[in-house]
Amino acid sequence: MTSLCNSEEEKLAHFMHRIETGDKIEADDWMPEEYRLTLIKLISMHGISEIMGALPEKEWVPKAPSLSRKLGIMAKVQDEMGHGQLLLRVTEDLLKPYGKNRGDLMQDLFNGDLKFHNVFHMKTTTWADAGIIGWLVDGAAIITQTNMLGASYGPYGRALQRICAEEVFHAQHGESIIMALAEGTNNQKAMIQESINYWWESLLMFFGPASKETTGSSKQDLTIKYKIRTKTNEEFRQIFFDKYIPRILSLGLTIPDSTIKFDADSKIWTYKQPDWNEFKKIIKNEGPRSQERLNLRRTSYENNAWVRDALSAVVN
Amino acid sequence: MSMTENSMSAEYKEAITSLLFQLADDDFLYAFRGSEWLGLAPHIEEDVASSSISQDSMGHAAMFYQLLEDLGAGKADDLAHLRSAQDRSNSILIERVNGEGYYMETPNYDWAYQVVRSYFYTQAKRVKMDSLCESSYRPIAEVAIKVKMELYYHKLHWETWFKQLMSSTDVAKKKMNDAITLVMNDFGDVFSFGNLKQKIESNNLLDSEEEMKKRWLASIGPVFDALQMEVPAIPNHPVMNGRNGEHTKDLDEALLTLSEVYKLDPVAVW
Amino acid sequence: MEGVSKMTGEKTFYQEYEVFSKRTPSSTFQHQFSLLAPNEDMALILAQENFMRREPVADIWIVNRKNVRKMDAEEKMTLGRLDNKEYRTTKGYGYLKKKWRQYEQQVLDEKEILSWGGERK
Repeated sequence: MTSLCNSEEEKLAHFMHRIETGDKIEADDWMPEEYRLTLIKLISMHGISEIMGALPEKEWVPKAPSLSRKLGIMAKVQDEMGHGQLLLRVTEDLLKPYGKNRGDLMQDLFNGDLKFHNVFHMKTTTWADAGIIGWLVDGAAIITQTNMLGASYGPYGRALQRICAEEVFHAQHGESIIMALAEGTNNQKAMIQESINYWWESLLMFFGPASKETTGSSKQDLTIKYKIRTKTNEEFRQIFFDKYIPRILSLGLTIPDSTIKFDADSKIWTYKQPDWNEFKKIIKNEGPRSQERLNLRRTSYENNAWVRDALSAVVN
Repeated sequence: MSMTENSMSAEYKEAITSLLFQLADDDFLYAFRGSEWLGLAPHIEEDVASSSISQDSMGHAAMFYQLLEDLGAGKADDLAHLRSAQDRSNSILIERVNGEGYYMETPNYDWAYQVVRSYFYTQAKRVKMDSLCESSYRPIAEVAIKVKMELYYHKLHWETWFKQLMSSTDVAKKKMNDAITLVMNDFGDVFSFGNLKQKIESNNLLDSEEEMKKRWLASIGPVFDALQMEVPAIPNHPVMNGRNGEHTKDLDEALLTLSEVYKLDPVAVW
Repeated sequence: MEGVSKMTGEKTFYQEYEVFSKRTPSSTFQHQFSLLAPNEDMALILAQENFMRREPVADIWIVNRKNVRKMDAEEKMTLGRLDNKEYRTTKGYGYLKKKWRQYEQQVLDEKEILSWGGERK
């Protein structure tokens, strides 16, 4: 490599060379605007989804049905807030050139510019939903997150290392709730089946559309180009089927899609597509609980503004 | 004096059981109120940190309920989830809601109240645990030694918040002072042993109510001095005494929530 | 108020602190992550539970990021060096083992020398 590069083309060539040779990009390094914006979009959504994702599960924290379940789910939801913290810190450092900080990210969330994952717009009705979120929603998230552990952006990779280490606990926390219900009374079993029926479409949507033709936009091409991730949305969904369908069936539960089947030759699952128009509505904050959860987040943020105001320090 | 279960008199057992319910119910409700805050604190980093305090406190409650289970009072989970309000011994202070509004809808929780209640409660708990380390009942002394270890952090955490908000804007000071008034109005039963006062004190389970009140005032004294504030007075006669099963409707509502799933089927495994 | 932080003299709740910690009294400090806090006392009470909930901690350092002197891209170029410095390491003296064998003596390698701090054998 040459020493210092001056022109934009040289900088870009140097940057792409670094990415292709497995070097990690750091917050203060030069990076093309497109890379920065792709990261901001991806990681801010990931981060705010953790913060919003704490809310549906939190609904079951005070209600958890034993002392040990109360402890386990508190720790689990605490981790979700913690993941939000890590990811928002990564985003905030990327936002520096635009003069934006966490307060601005919260405003972006409130005015609808910053989206959160479809699953966290959904309603929870029973304790089994807390289990299904831990087991299958976290399971789905683990598949996408572990794929990005080697992301070209160093700070994101390091945040994901911490997150994925905790996800192993989350997966087992969810499994433990589900296992108890699956081995429990008929009512408990019925509770999980209803929960799977309710969450199934959302779980398929979680990975995003197979291509941008489905919903009109997709950021998967850019994230692959910049070595932030290596697999496509559809590949993730197929891995999810591989890992979880046998486990769901082994517990005597059914998949609410009579058409789903595995082709042994192509190693591809064919399945009924979720309603992608519904997906577009949900992520535009028109899902079953979108407005309630945003309202809760906004109220708590605004109610507590006096605290942040009281302790704000003068920065020089 | 040391007691084992075999040599325990009926009176001694009655006293220790009553004391354990007070300690267990306090921490259980305190952790429950903390868990309602989860996700709603003024700052994400604080949300994560204070959840650990709620978890620690739930862990302490579980240890005290376990001691009750060991004494034959019933299964720890049943004791935590199935007892009705009039059988509960927690302080009124601990059962109070975090603010207006149900946590599932749009709660308007008050962070000043959270800080003041938590700080004053933590200091009270430290005074009790210090005293319990010398208890005539060995199992409780052993638990107290463990609990004390985690209270160093709880105290530093809430004291930092208390001092900083008290030294900040007029708005914050006003909210904090209002919270101090609310918390102190309910402080009368925090150090009460209720109807079993005489039995608990005479069996050397821990120091007297009066002694612990003095130690509590001494524990917060330096912080109040530094802030140039009067140390608040502990009410002599609580209007309601939670130790005797007198409670507000806040507790009824809390119990409905925290036992909602458990009560669907108390014999099922959850 | 809290939406603005770039300008000098602005008030903000969101100051950046780097968190370092030690697992045990004998281990070295390790960088953990960064957090936002209004001041260092607050940063200190947030650090352990945010980043070290599941591991032992013996000590914590908090550093305001504005006090960290970082390298820019040009300065990072100064970190490059050639792979020709065997003379600084035992690798450059590997032949000694064979030599000492001729004199029926063992080479004083790293393992041997570092064992001298222990009991006399």
